[in-house]
Amino acid sequence: MASGLEARAATNMNAVRDTMDVLLEISRILNTGLDRETLSICVRLCEQGINLEALSSVIKELRKVTEALKAAENMTADFLEKF
Amino acid sequence: MATPDQKSPNVLLQNLCCRILGRSEADVAQQFQYAVRVIGSNFAPTVERDEFLVAEKIKKELIRQRREADAALFSELHRKLHSQGILKNKWSILYLLLSLSEDPRKQPSKVSSYAALFAQALPRDAHSTPYYYARPQSLPLSYQDRSAPSAPSSGSMGSSGISSVSLCGLSGPAPTPQPLLPGQSHQAPGIGDCLRQQLGSRLAWTLTANQPSLQTTTSRGIPNTARNVTRSRREGDTGGTMEVTEAALVRDILYVFQGIDGKNIKMSNTENCYKVEGKANLSKSLRDTAVRLAELGWLHNKIRKYTDQRSLDRSFGLVGQSFCAALHQELKEYYRLLSVLHSQLQLEDDQGVNLGLESSLTLRRLLVWTYDPKIRLKTLAALVDHCQGRKGGELASAVHAYTKTGDPYMRSLVQHILSLVSHPILSFLYRWIYDGELEDTYHEFFVASDPTVKTDRLWHDKYTLRKSMIPSFITMDQSRKVLLIGKSINFLHQVCHDQTPTAKMIAVTRSAESPQDAADLFTDLENAFQGKIDAAYFETSKYLLDVLNKKYSLLDHMQAMRRYLLLGQGDFIRHLMDLLKPELVRPATTLYQHNLTGILETAVRATNAQFDSPEILRRLDVRLLEVSPGDTGWDVFSLDYHVDGPIATVFTRECMSHYLRVFNFLWRAKRMEYILTDIRKGHMCNAKLLRSVPEFSGVLHQCHILASEMVHFIHQMQYYITFEVLECSWDELWNKVQRAQDLDHIIAAHEVFLDTIISRCLLDSSSRALLNQLRAVFDQIIELQNAQDAIYRTALEELQRRLQFEEKKKQHEIEGQWGVTAAEEEEEEKRVQEFKESIPKMCSQLRILTHFYQGIVQQFLVLLTTSSDESLQFLSFRLDFNEHYKAREPRLHVSLGTRGRRSSHT
Repeated sequence: MASGLEARAATNMNAVRDTMDVLLEISRILNTGLDRETLSICVRLCEQGINLEALSSVIKELRKVTEALKAAENMTADFLEKF
Repeated sequence: MATPDQKSPNVLLQNLCCRILGRSEADVAQQFQYAVRVIGSNFAPTVERDEFLVAEKIKKELIRQRREADAALFSELHRKLHSQGILKNKWSILYLLLSLSEDPRKQPSKVSSYAALFAQALPRDAHSTPYYYARPQSLPLSYQDRSAPSAPSSGSMGSSGISSVSLCGLSGPAPTPQPLLPGQSHQAPGIGDCLRQQLGSRLAWTLTANQPSLQTTTSRGIPNTARNVTRSRREGDTGGTMEVTEAALVRDILYVFQGIDGKNIKMSNTENCYKVEGKANLSKSLRDTAVRLAELGWLHNKIRKYTDQRSLDRSFGLVGQSFCAALHQELKEYYRLLSVLHSQLQLEDDQGVNLGLESSLTLRRLLVWTYDPKIRLKTLAALVDHCQGRKGGELASAVHAYTKTGDPYMRSLVQHILSLVSHPILSFLYRWIYDGELEDTYHEFFVASDPTVKTDRLWHDKYTLRKSMIPSFITMDQSRKVLLIGKSINFLHQVCHDQTPTAKMIAVTRSAESPQDAADLFTDLENAFQGKIDAAYFETSKYLLDVLNKKYSLLDHMQAMRRYLLLGQGDFIRHLMDLLKPELVRPATTLYQHNLTGILETAVRATNAQFDSPEILRRLDVRLLEVSPGDTGWDVFSLDYHVDGPIATVFTRECMSHYLRVFNFLWRAKRMEYILTDIRKGHMCNAKLLRSVPEFSGVLHQCHILASEMVHFIHQMQYYITFEVLECSWDELWNKVQRAQDLDHIIAAHEVFLDTIISRCLLDSSSRALLNQLRAVFDQIIELQNAQDAIYRTALEELQRRLQFEEKKKQHEIEGQWGVTAAEEEEEEKRVQEFKESIPKMCSQLRILTHFYQGIVQQFLVLLTTSSDESLQFLSFRLDFNEHYKAREPRLHVSLGTRGRRSSHT
């Protein structure tokens, strides 16, 4: 039985991995910019029934923040470089 | 992966923040707070749960981006995903991925990043600031990003017909969807643009409103059950049981809405309603609901039948056609609703199994959605019923009757239809009053033109009012005015040959004709429309009267009639009569017209009549009436006045015949007057002469008495005719004509004038007895004249003879013979004896005449006192002022009754 469980766990994990692969592929096609980790977190959140609109807006905001920060860093870096 | 599946959402969220930002947990604190707040704020609750729908969307998106290969790849992957049963909410992750996807062609907007940058800088250092103030831009930005694309689409939805109350926004109240629109922008803009574009705003509202009730927070268990239920339902359908499912009913109902019989619901012609087939295994509530919904189909059929029938009817006319067009438009809106419902049904069919209960079509949903359309269709069906068999102005009246309702929804609908329906009528009307043209092939307008009438009767007969076609929003007075205006314009153009364009005539600017005008008509009926009609009326009539008076001198002709035909010009008449006397004594057959005309002209030249305008004198003429045997010239002579052109409209042939009758009467009376004057003259002349024939004095005395009586009688009659009849009526007529506002007034006043004269001159049928008496009196007068002439002749002869005798005697004495021989004296004696014997004959003749005359006058007086005309009664008083006749006539002794009248005796 234990082996059955293990086997099932194994197949489960395989299935999970496959699913993740598929999802990753889809997200690549759709140009979402999500990596595996983020995607897995998202999947988990979705499975728990989060408000999708809210989640997607949050992600978009966070991305904007990241870009802004990067841009700021670049600018300051350039600035510093000049001098 | 060893990571446990069940981490708390918060932890997950934090991890997410860390991952995306690429920082450690401590740094992401405020972002994390923000994220928590956003997730908790719950501002976009609506998402469709259909995995396939989302998949379709993704495919569409990819195709839109021209990445067909990727789309195919995606389909492949989706299939693989679908086969794996690991994920429970496949749709959610797919949806998330979709919403996060970026179009590789799209440029990142720089503005927002900078804004975010600046918003960022401050609060990162100042942790104490509450973050929602810190990030004002980002929150609304994302908000607006979402609402901005949805706003135009919601704007376009406002015009969608299903819940719109008024079609063209003419006169209806503000459409009720308006308040929904701002609300909608708060609704899930991303709900699925295709769904939103398909449905009307209200439908979308109702559909999406169902979603929040089943929020994602509690969603885990329910979608499963929903899916299970649908699955079982579907299986039930394909199982082929006798049970009629709601879905099948819904399908049927959608067909019934269009008037097509469904599988289970059919039209029963005997009862004229839709019935669900009895053998179908249906729950009672479903059956009832289905039947209620079928009413819509019945209403639709009714309206459709009407419009179809009418479109085949060739003679339906413009008004009817516009009515049908309005109905068509309404039906088109209805069909739009039906197509939306159909597409919804289609969607359910296509998407197959996994549609949740919440968004499918049920009978209840249909009931709610078709409530407003049902009211609309009911109103339209009622209108159709009411308007059966009517056309033209009647139809407009029927529709107008329906605007008198308290329900504003119905009223606005019917008013809209009314404005469309009355537009042709108003265009007819404006054309008529501004141009005088009438192009009414289907006889819909209330002014009717009779094409068989020639121009000489144009004013009286050509244009009439078709009373049945007067719409109920145009009063009788207005319609009469309208008729008059158009008639005047046509009259001017055709009869007066006055081609002045209407624009010059009428200072009123012609308003543009449009359905807007028609709508204005009903909101501002009292002022603008009435004002237009009144202005046109005044201007046109004034111009017409001006033309008639200046160019055709209507009033001058009227006065000329008075002077010549009604014997107003005394000196001319007197002279004419003097000249005509020798002519007219001859028998009528020997008279020639040109002789008489010559005499007429002599008379004109010799009197004041020569100063009249030549136009008038040209029209004056002699007319010889029909000759009956035994007539003298007096009986057939008449003056005539020629009229033509526009004047003939006022002085019609009937009027002229009336004038001639009156002339005849007046002429006779005048003749009597002159006869008596002659008799009087004779008296004067011969009185002295005949003093020497004393035997005559008795006869002559009687003659004088009779003549005086007759003179008195005629005198009173003449006074009555001249002053009480002619002058008074003429004064009235002249006043009215001066004050007249249009030609109709003049014609009416003139007719009243003639009627009064005729009745007062005893020429109408009710005074036949009086007239006969009068004629008898006149005859007696003529008799007297003849008798008197005879008497004078004899007397003068006798006088002559006696004088001769005396002459002879003197002669003989001068010659020395016997003055008178015995034989001569005897002869003379005999002659005188003969003469004396003839005197009693003359006396008795005169006595008979007197008696006869007096009898007639008494009869006349009795008739006068019993007449209803007051002035005739007064005439009787004047005629019998010293009660000379009353003494002789027992009937005149009866006292006057309470009303001042003697009741008539037989």
